[in-house]
Order: sequence, then structure tokens, then C-alpha cells
Amino acid sequence: MPREIVSTGNQLAALAAIDAGCRFFGGYPITPSSEIAHEMSRLLPKVGGVFIQMEDEIAGISVALGASMSGVKSMTNTSGPGISLKSEQIGLAFMAEVPLVITNVMRGGPSTGLPTRPQQGDILQAQAPTHGDYQSITLCAGSLEECYTETVRAFNLAERFMTPVFVLLDETLGHMIGKAELPDKEEVEKNIVNRKVYEGDPKEYLPYAVGPDEPAVLNPFFKGYRYHITGLHHGPTGFPTEDAKICQELIDRLFNKILAHKDEIESYEEFMLDDADMAVIAYGSVSLAVKEAIKELRKEGIKVGLFRPITLWPSPEEKIDEVCKKFDKVLVTEMNKGQYFKEIQRASGRKAETFDTLFKANGRPISPAEIKAKLKEMASR
Amino acid sequence: MRKQLRFTGVGGQGVLLAGEILARAYVKAGKYGVQVGTYTSQVRGGPTKVDIILDDEPILYPYAVDGEIDFMLSVADKSYHLFKDGVKEGGIIVYEPNLVYPTEDDKAKWKMFPIEVITIAKEKVGNVITQSVVALAIATRMNNLDKDLVYEAMIETVPAKAVEINKKAFELGYQEAEEVLSKYS
Repeated sequence: MPREIVSTGNQLAALAAIDAGCRFFGGYPITPSSEIAHEMSRLLPKVGGVFIQMEDEIAGISVALGASMSGVKSMTNTSGPGISLKSEQIGLAFMAEVPLVITNVMRGGPSTGLPTRPQQGDILQAQAPTHGDYQSITLCAGSLEECYTETVRAFNLAERFMTPVFVLLDETLGHMIGKAELPDKEEVEKNIVNRKVYEGDPKEYLPYAVGPDEPAVLNPFFKGYRYHITGLHHGPTGFPTEDAKICQELIDRLFNKILAHKDEIESYEEFMLDDADMAVIAYGSVSLAVKEAIKELRKEGIKVGLFRPITLWPSPEEKIDEVCKKFDKVLVTEMNKGQYFKEIQRASGRKAETFDTLFKANGRPISPAEIKAKLKEMASR
Repeated sequence: MRKQLRFTGVGGQGVLLAGEILARAYVKAGKYGVQVGTYTSQVRGGPTKVDIILDDEPILYPYAVDGEIDFMLSVADKSYHLFKDGVKEGGIIVYEPNLVYPTEDDKAKWKMFPIEVITIAKEKVGNVITQSVVALAIATRMNNLDKDLVYEAMIETVPAKAVEINKKAFELGYQEAEEVLSKYS
């Protein structure tokens, strides 16, 4: 039975984590994400899980990684400033291939910014949260339902690809209360993905000796399968190496294990796009305002549609290109100075000046009225 | 029909709860209710507003539209003046007369009702924390919402140990709204 729940986006993300099999949370509270931690502290003990509030963000992700290395589905949660602090350990997760879900409820930035106000300022940070070369998976919820479904998906992708996965919410979605229709719990459980486990002779176990586009196979610690975990470049056993060929293959694999399986990761929504004369590209809570604007404009005979990437990284680049080729007039609107706009230009090959844009970075939501006014102006040209 | 309500106060007054209850009540009735709060990073004392949208149709953008708000309840002067212009002309404003000081112009523009929300909670109900439910009851009456539906959602939402005191808060708030309505209209 599908479930109907009245809740905040933050609470739904926590519920999703539990339903997806998360049994460890390590973190440190920060507005506007704290309710996820709070809810996890309430829910985890009921299912035999462990919640730890650590002394800071860095310790929070560190224990979460440790739990994951022991085979437990694990998460940490924060907002932009916390990602900045966790950045070093995020790098370890990419390099050592430790699955972890990181929810980021975005607020105004940079620095401590606007703690209680929404922004989409962490889009590029999610693509490249730490130094070095790696491929991020970043999902962005655009409704209360998706605070749940995208968090579930993040756990499954983290286990499938042995990598940290980011789920982006923003202050609006995190704190708004409304009705969410959630998928049936049995359905969610039926589709749970668990990381691969090596079951052969422990003496022959080589966790990082996998195909060129496959993730490492890391058995849980303390079960008799011994291997080494390091942030240094490493070979099949996990021990450090500086062998040129192995180093190149390792980094190539961190990319290929994701890019070769983009079809399993990519996700987007097309809203009233089929018969539209103009397109809007938006994501996250901004898309709610866009949809409302589109519905109102259609009553006035102005046909607009929305393309909404849900997986932001890797981006649905072919689809973005298709939309930008099909529509002459494309509006890109974001609660930042145009962070994803850069990716849209790259994917489409279109120059910045051929788009219309509506960007806001003052911690205030973009309203349907503002979007409508912009689209009307575009329609009149 | 869409109804847009706004509760304003200062951080720490607990204005969030009333909105959550209204949203729950509407969802229970098979309709749609959304609440979203805006507050500042001041722990206490910063201006706070909570927007509540109630509709028969799904609601996407969760914030109320300034200039279209049907009803506002305010228990702090600075938030009152900061947010009052969101209320449509002829809309209803309930204010705590001991804490909020409307101008003469305001009284011409909106239907203004003074109700001592905080005093009722503190002295008549016996616990200031119930002001949120007093406000909820006032909003229910002033907007002609289904009293039983909101009442039941309230009982389901407040902590079990606080049900009795909140029942009292709801009844007193509702009564007060009735009285004020008959006195001023």
C-alpha cells in the first residue's frame, strides 16, 4: 500500500534512510539539516541501529565511514559549511571506495552565509567536494516525495558503485510540511541493493582487482577477509603503490565505474514539455515555483514546459543537449549565480547569451510570479 | 478554493505548530495543506513567519503570495509591521493588542481584530506554550474552517501529555474569536 504521510522533507529523508537499510548515522547538527539527525536519533535505535552525534563534522563523517567499512549502511548529514569541513574524508571515501550517503540541506553561502534560508549554492561543491580526480554522484530532490525516494536511491547507488552519494535538499524542502505519497515499504525493500561480497578463499581475496569499469568489492571488516584501506594510490590488495600504470588505471576506474553505467544513475523529469514553445530548466525546490508558473501561463495560452534534472552529477548531458536544440527560448533559473548553467552550456554547446536566465542568491525563494514575468517577457519577443 | 494564512511572531514563540495542525487537518479531509516557515538565525527574538496554504487542489510552491493572503495572526510588533503588507486588502488580521500596535491606516485597510492571544494562553489556559493552539482555534473560526476536523488533527499532533490543556486552549481560543466577531462586525 502506498503511504500518505504529512511531514517535512528532512523527516522524509530520515525515514527513507531507515527504509533503505541504513543502520548507522554519524554527524553533527547544522541548520537547516538538523531534523534529519534528530529523526535518525529517534528512528535508528528502534531498528537496532546506532546514532552518534560526534564532536564536529569531521568526526561525524569519519565514524560513518568506519561503520560503512564494517559493512553497515551508513550516512552523514549536513549543510554546505559541513561539507566544507568533511571534504578531506569525502576524498577518502572516493579513493578507498567506501559507500556513504551524504545529505546536504542547502542554505545560503559561502561560509556560514544565511543559515535559515534556502539556496542552491552547493551544486558545484557537490560535483567537486574535494581535491583530486573522481566522479561524483549527486541527486537533487524536487519535492517532498523525492526527499524520500532520492535518499532511498542514494543508498542503492552507493552500494552498487561503492562511492559516496550526495542527496541535495534545500531549506525550503527540508522544512516545509505537506503531504507526501510514498511508495509501498515492501516495494522499497524489494529493490534494495547490497554491495557485492567476495566469498572465495580469503587468501586469494583482492578487493581492488576488478574490471576497468567496476567498483571495488570490499568485504566487511572483521570477518576474516583481510585487506588494506588507504587514501594513497593503491593496487589490488589495497596497499599503497606508485606504479604509474596502476595509478592511472585506478583513477580511470573511479570515473568509468560511474560513467559506463550512467543509464543506471541518470534521472530527470519532463513536465509539459511535449507541446511547449519555450522551455525552463530548473531543479530542486525552484522547480515547484516553475511548475506553478507553467500551469498559470498555460491558462493564458502561453505554452511552456520544464526540464528538471534529478541526477545532477553525472549530468543528463544528452537530454540537456536535446532540450537546448529543440527550444530556441530556454530559461535557466537557479537559486545561485548560475552554477548548473555552466553545465547546461557545456552539454549543449550553446553560448550563455542565447539563454534567458533568472538567478537569485540572497536566500529568498524564486516565486512563480517572478518566473511568470520572465517567461511572459520571453514570449513577447 | 485556495486559502492563504500567515502566522507571525518572533523566534521561540512556537508559531510553527498551528500551521502543521492545519495542514494535517486538510490532508485528513482528502485535501491539500502545506506549511513553510521563515525565520532568522537569531535563536530567539528574530522575526518569524509561517505561511499556510490550504487548497482542494495540489499545492506546489509552498510560500504564500504577498498581496493575496486572506488571514494573518500576529503576536509581535516587529513581525506584524514587517509582514502585514502581504495581507490582501479587506483581509483579516488578528493581533495581540498588548504586543502589536497597528496604525490607523491599517485599520482602514484590513479587518482588524484585537485578541489577547498570549494572555489567554498564560492566564486562562494556564500555560503560555498553548498560545499556538489558541491561535489555531482563532484561525479556524476566523476562516470558517471545519472546527471538528482541526480539533481532531490538533489532538493527534500535540504530545499525549499535553492533550487536555490544549483542548482547553482550543475551546477558549474559539470562543474568544466568536465573541470578537460578534462585537466588531
